[in-house]
Amino acid sequence: MADVSRRADTVTLTIDGHEVNVPKGTSLLHAAETLGIEVPHYCYHPGLSAPAQCRICLVEVEGAPKLQPSCVTMAQDGQVVHTESPSAKRMRQGVLEFYLVNHPLDCPICDMSGECKLQDYVFDEGREQGRAREPKRVFGRDDFGGDVFYYGDRCVMCTRCVRFMDEVADDARLTVVERGDRAVIDTFFESGLDDASFAGNIVDICPVGALVSKDFLHKARAWDLDHTPSICPNCSQGCNIDLHARDNLVQRLKPRENQEVNGHWMCDYGRANYEWINRAGRIESPGVGRGGKRRAADWQTALGALLDRLREIEGAGVRIVGSPFASNEALGTLHRLGRAVGNVTESVFRCRRAEDEDPLPGFPLLVRRRDLAPNVDGASILGFEPAGSDDATGGLGAAASHDGILVVLGDQLGDQPEDFGADASLYVYLGTFESPAARNADFVLPVTTFAEEDGTFVNAQGRVQRFEQGLQAPGSARPAWLVLGALLAAVEGGNPPGSAADAFAALAVEYAAFAGLSHDAIGTAGAVLEPAHA
Amino acid sequence: MAISVKVMRRPEAGRTSYMRATLKGMSLTFKHLLRVKKVTLEYPEDQPDLHPRWRGTHRMEVHADGRPKCVACGLCPTVCPANCIRLVGGEDDQGNRYPIVYEIDEFRCIFCGMCQEVCPVEAIHVGQHFENAEYTRDRFVYDLDRLMEQDHPTTLLWDPSDPRSE
Repeated sequence: MADVSRRADTVTLTIDGHEVNVPKGTSLLHAAETLGIEVPHYCYHPGLSAPAQCRICLVEVEGAPKLQPSCVTMAQDGQVVHTESPSAKRMRQGVLEFYLVNHPLDCPICDMSGECKLQDYVFDEGREQGRAREPKRVFGRDDFGGDVFYYGDRCVMCTRCVRFMDEVADDARLTVVERGDRAVIDTFFESGLDDASFAGNIVDICPVGALVSKDFLHKARAWDLDHTPSICPNCSQGCNIDLHARDNLVQRLKPRENQEVNGHWMCDYGRANYEWINRAGRIESPGVGRGGKRRAADWQTALGALLDRLREIEGAGVRIVGSPFASNEALGTLHRLGRAVGNVTESVFRCRRAEDEDPLPGFPLLVRRRDLAPNVDGASILGFEPAGSDDATGGLGAAASHDGILVVLGDQLGDQPEDFGADASLYVYLGTFESPAARNADFVLPVTTFAEEDGTFVNAQGRVQRFEQGLQAPGSARPAWLVLGALLAAVEGGNPPGSAADAFAALAVEYAAFAGLSHDAIGTAGAVLEPAHA
Repeated sequence: MAISVKVMRRPEAGRTSYMRATLKGMSLTFKHLLRVKKVTLEYPEDQPDLHPRWRGTHRMEVHADGRPKCVACGLCPTVCPANCIRLVGGEDDQGNRYPIVYEIDEFRCIFCGMCQEVCPVEAIHVGQHFENAEYTRDRFVYDLDRLMEQDHPTTLLWDPSDPRSE
């Protein structure tokens, strides 16, 4: 240890009796975190500046005349720090008691209950009984505009929200007004947070229930939600998110930290657009036969019949309509299958595009991209070409009247006429919803959405990122890579993929861009592709 | 041990009297006829006295203006070991959090009383009530209106004069 500490860029200190070596310029709070010691804090947030005003992260540093705020005190060589000493504990207890003087203790009706830092800290260390005799001051609820309600009574005045809007969103719309126990957060103008495109983040960073989402209000309790690491499907930035689901329905999306992609943040557009994942009325079982002759079938029958047809017309021209919402595993396996059964003359996808980008000034890596789908770059790597206009219509003229094999995956063909694919010798529609343009399909196969399967997307930075299954698929819908992989194995020989990781491993062999990668190697943080491929 | 046989010698039929045994039995019978200690309850004319901690079907307390006291905090469905409570929270026109849907499946309920114990606003109670017969099964899923209509006495889960059992 001593040898390391002599290097100029690190310091060694002792926290609660444990020696720790950290880079110079590390705060005591972070140094304690590396030891697994959590120092309570409200105003400090790793993505924001540290004003050291909440006074709850105070720790005892030997030699210092009084307790030091650990979020701004930098670690120094030879420091001896106590986070659990009697004076530090007494201070925290006192600070918590002050916070509770005016706190309404309305945990039963507060949306933050279960993930609230005030609740946690008071439960850990607070006094059992309050001593305040005076009546509590009451503010009630304020509508901040956008998706945000403000409950002033619950606020601990950490000013994280004020600093986020000021420092990160570069759009100072919030401020503290009044002083002392009358202090509240307020907006400058009547418009409040309307049209602010990153304001939803202040709900995430609020350590208590002062700022809550209107959309999520009273919808579910924090402890009822299942958290699944996933990727935001609403633009090609691919923000790392957690799907919060209850009763097999997504209730909200929350950003998951990834400093290479989205930091701690995500945009309001991505956050608000999750209802489509929950949409009911999905295709639940495979259908065989065109138009009025369509009959429901089980997977074995449907795939067996499909294989027979594929063998009959082997060598025909194949046109593929993919989707930028499909995973790499699905798109790659589809393209491989196309090449195995015939000659792929066209493989396209259509993507809705916004008019402009929307960057987050304080975190330049995070941009709400023009492409409003998660896997545009993955589709391009796997040999698909963009088609159609910016509202994801048109561009399928050749496919509509194609006379060979036509395969549609994920594209709902909402703008296409009923005679779409009427001339095709074989028309396979893999999708989530019935569509008039799927009327002529010989096979309608139900597949899952990204939330119901494991897989990977490639974002606009050329970064391949994994998402996990968070919901149960409806009926007998199966992941597209599983369906297509089984067909491919039957056509080419070999084993069908048993998992999305298997399907990806097959892509890594075939596509140079993914060479050497696997689901394990990608991990939770994602992996950057070589720029030449991305 | 060898099996031994003992031969009982009974009097011949017609040569013995059962009078003494009969009188002994009848005296006991008449004693009970005079000293009445009634065990049988004339239900349903007579209702049984239920123990203060008897836990029966639920009841939702209401405010004076008829709103349910429940604030849809979600603790009872969380604590319920039988998973018999379904709750969907929402906001009423006065900005109060309230249950849009509150259903208890009384068939599934095991009457442990934990919902009452956990309730922070003393809204849901188990009650002193056991006459629950219905003609159909689905009537045993009590919805919010039904729970609010119940007027039987609620259960005392603890002694109010000694809430901590000290």
